[in-house]
Amino acid sequence: MILSPAERSYLYDSLIQKPTIRPDSRAEHQMRPLEAKTSFLPGSNGSARIRLMDGSECIVSVKAKVVVAAKEANLIECDVDVVGFRDNSNFVSNLKFNLTNLLQQNFPSDYLRLTSKYSFKLFIDCIVISHSSYPLTLISLTSYLALKTTKLPLLVSETNDEEIAELPTFSDDWDNAKPIADYFKGKGKEFQPPIFITLGYVGSNLIFDPSVEEEQVLENGLIVTFYNNKVITPIANMNLAVNSNNSNFKGLNQTAIIKSIQMGNKFGGAIIRALDALIEQDDDNDAIF
Amino acid sequence: MNVSDVISITRPTPATIDSDVDMSDDESTQVKLSIVTPGEMVTDDPVWMKGHGTYFLEDKTYSSVAGNISRVNRLLSVIPLKGRYQPETGDHIIGRITEVGNKRWKVDIGCKQDAILMLGSVNLPGGVLRRKSESDELQMRNFLKEGDLLNAEVQTIFNNGIASLHTRSLKYGKLRNGIFLRVPSNLIVKSKNHSYDLPGNVSVILGINGYIWLSKTTNSSHNKNMTVNSNANKINASGDPSYVPGAGSVAITRLEEESSWEIYSDKNDPNITNSVRSNITRYNNVIKALAYGDLGITEQRIIMGYEASMAFSNVGSMIDKDAMESICQDVINNEKMRG
Amino acid sequence: MVQGPMEPSLRSQANTTEATIEVNVNVANFSTFERKKRTRTEKRIVELKATLEKTFEQSVMCNLYPRTVIQVDIHVLAQDGGLLAGMTNAMTLALIDAGIAMYDYVSSVSAGLHDQTPLLDLNSLEENDMSAITIGVVGKSEKLALLMLEDKMPLDQLESVLAIAIAGSHRIQDLMDTELRRQGNIRASKMTQS
Repeated sequence: MILSPAERSYLYDSLIQKPTIRPDSRAEHQMRPLEAKTSFLPGSNGSARIRLMDGSECIVSVKAKVVVAAKEANLIECDVDVVGFRDNSNFVSNLKFNLTNLLQQNFPSDYLRLTSKYSFKLFIDCIVISHSSYPLTLISLTSYLALKTTKLPLLVSETNDEEIAELPTFSDDWDNAKPIADYFKGKGKEFQPPIFITLGYVGSNLIFDPSVEEEQVLENGLIVTFYNNKVITPIANMNLAVNSNNSNFKGLNQTAIIKSIQMGNKFGGAIIRALDALIEQDDDNDAIF
Repeated sequence: MNVSDVISITRPTPATIDSDVDMSDDESTQVKLSIVTPGEMVTDDPVWMKGHGTYFLEDKTYSSVAGNISRVNRLLSVIPLKGRYQPETGDHIIGRITEVGNKRWKVDIGCKQDAILMLGSVNLPGGVLRRKSESDELQMRNFLKEGDLLNAEVQTIFNNGIASLHTRSLKYGKLRNGIFLRVPSNLIVKSKNHSYDLPGNVSVILGINGYIWLSKTTNSSHNKNMTVNSNANKINASGDPSYVPGAGSVAITRLEEESSWEIYSDKNDPNITNSVRSNITRYNNVIKALAYGDLGITEQRIIMGYEASMAFSNVGSMIDKDAMESICQDVINNEKMRG
Repeated sequence: MVQGPMEPSLRSQANTTEATIEVNVNVANFSTFERKKRTRTEKRIVELKATLEKTFEQSVMCNLYPRTVIQVDIHVLAQDGGLLAGMTNAMTLALIDAGIAMYDYVSSVSAGLHDQTPLLDLNSLEENDMSAITIGVVGKSEKLALLMLEDKMPLDQLESVLAIAIAGSHRIQDLMDTELRRQGNIRASKMTQS
């Protein structure tokens, strides 16, 4: 997307005002409204779909498979597919790396252990059907919903199967399946997947979830990770406007990083609460579209 | 802290026919409600001439799109419910330059093919009426370049469906001092005039192609000349001092020459106050809300929506689904009251 | 998702007399019971893509959109038999929704032959087990825009299978038409309001 120089400078001048004036007059910590739906794919253990008002859309499916724990290096595998981009393009591999890295580091995968020999392995597949701004937040919020609503079948065989040759057996009744969160609770831990928040830095203002127009004039972009009610590493900076010559782009002041952490700590919890509230009120009977 | 201040997440709602609309509507609208779908026979009477959206087979006319039937004299056409903008001669539109080519610019106007703006169809610096010289060809990028937004009029439609534009009027040209947004083109109601001054020192141009430009209202013509003059000097200083206007032509006055350069300036007015900026964003959200509610966008509606939006002290909350619906409802109610 | 008619990204793609239809098929890794990584260059997917492009070249009034590309992206999120039929029906609806002129609906269904009895709309287990045929019917006629038979079928039985498949397609078309009208009327009623 290319803006004309006049638009660019108008937008930039608006964003650097105190308080910042965003084109849709969002507050600096305000995300764009979302439309979300969970558990709509019958063939997956968990699924979610998020749509933005501008037509951006992302679908995530979580599938679980029983594997021999000792043979697997990672119990989580992510795959990202963005329409219009080749799978091996920089853009897609960056997104994929970010997501995989985040989940593998911050997902207590020990809890996926079924028996002494076997374990669940989660396959997380993301499809970005259309996007305008940098889709990392979109992907991570959708995978949060999908993971939270993932249901795993109930184990009926013995947990200690060191000497048993057969595969573990599960209850046939899907109603007995437990959400992944209960698995964790049983082992004494709250289950809350980590999320990414993208922030834009412009003229000493930090703005949450910049839109595609805003991305074009940002001085810098930040990706902040939020987990267990606080900001954690990795925190990365990057040019969010892909394939454009952003002439405003410049180095990052360290105070911006500190401020981004503060803002993440302050407002990240609200995003998680909103997502959790949606899961609670979402029932299975709605149309998916 | 309130969660809704940070993010609002809703569930998708399946579209349903408004029950109270069905109840209150009389039979005349019920007839209008029926639509035709592709392959459906519209008429078997050969007297009708076939128009857009229809095809003709063995003396029978069939529809080729899903939409409403329109009959103008003997011309029968089906207007699709959705679809791309179809340019017509005389349409006031907004476009974005996508390519600078040989004596022409290509302009994205949201229709199926990019429109063409010939070098001969724009006003060039150095007088309105002068021959285009080679030096003009060489510096086309100095006038308009990729990404630039302009408003223009559709001059003609070529046989192959490509539209040709012109900007030969003072009200057309490059756009400055504001922001751009787009809505589905079928929401823009055609009228005589498509640029309006709105309350709050904001102007809007509603391009028939659904592209909309919101900007600060420029002052009266007298003041304009003053600012033009000072700005033009600035441009000449900063921009391109080596420029000599078309060799074969003589500019009538210095002022005219400079003011013509001004129409291709990329500099915004330096004195846009924060209140104007926030008014622009408010209008932006109002228009988006109207588009969300599938309401036709007119000057009146925008103003009514703006008044309704005053109920929201925090303009940022207007982007939520509920807020947009309530604005649309306010506008509809307001219209009903006025009849 | 339908994009276009729009400017072709490459000049060479442009056909001066009519529109080019480009279909992208994306079968999600998780669409089948067993998760399996699929690439876009897989033979089966390339074939599906080519079949769809050929089918719709005839039904869409391509001559109305010279020098343009109509790009259709299809995402298969879940599948249990009737993959091609489902994609064809979805594409028909999407093209109509995009306001692209078509001569008529293309409605599609799969059918198979079990012993002597023809069966309609097979699921994937049945598909693996017996010879299956997928047809696409233009409108309410008996003209076929699409016929795909991946294995053998006795000739004397073909007619009965085709008959049931055509009847099934007509039924699908009715269902699509009803839904389209319902959606269309919702939009139209909003328009009359405004």
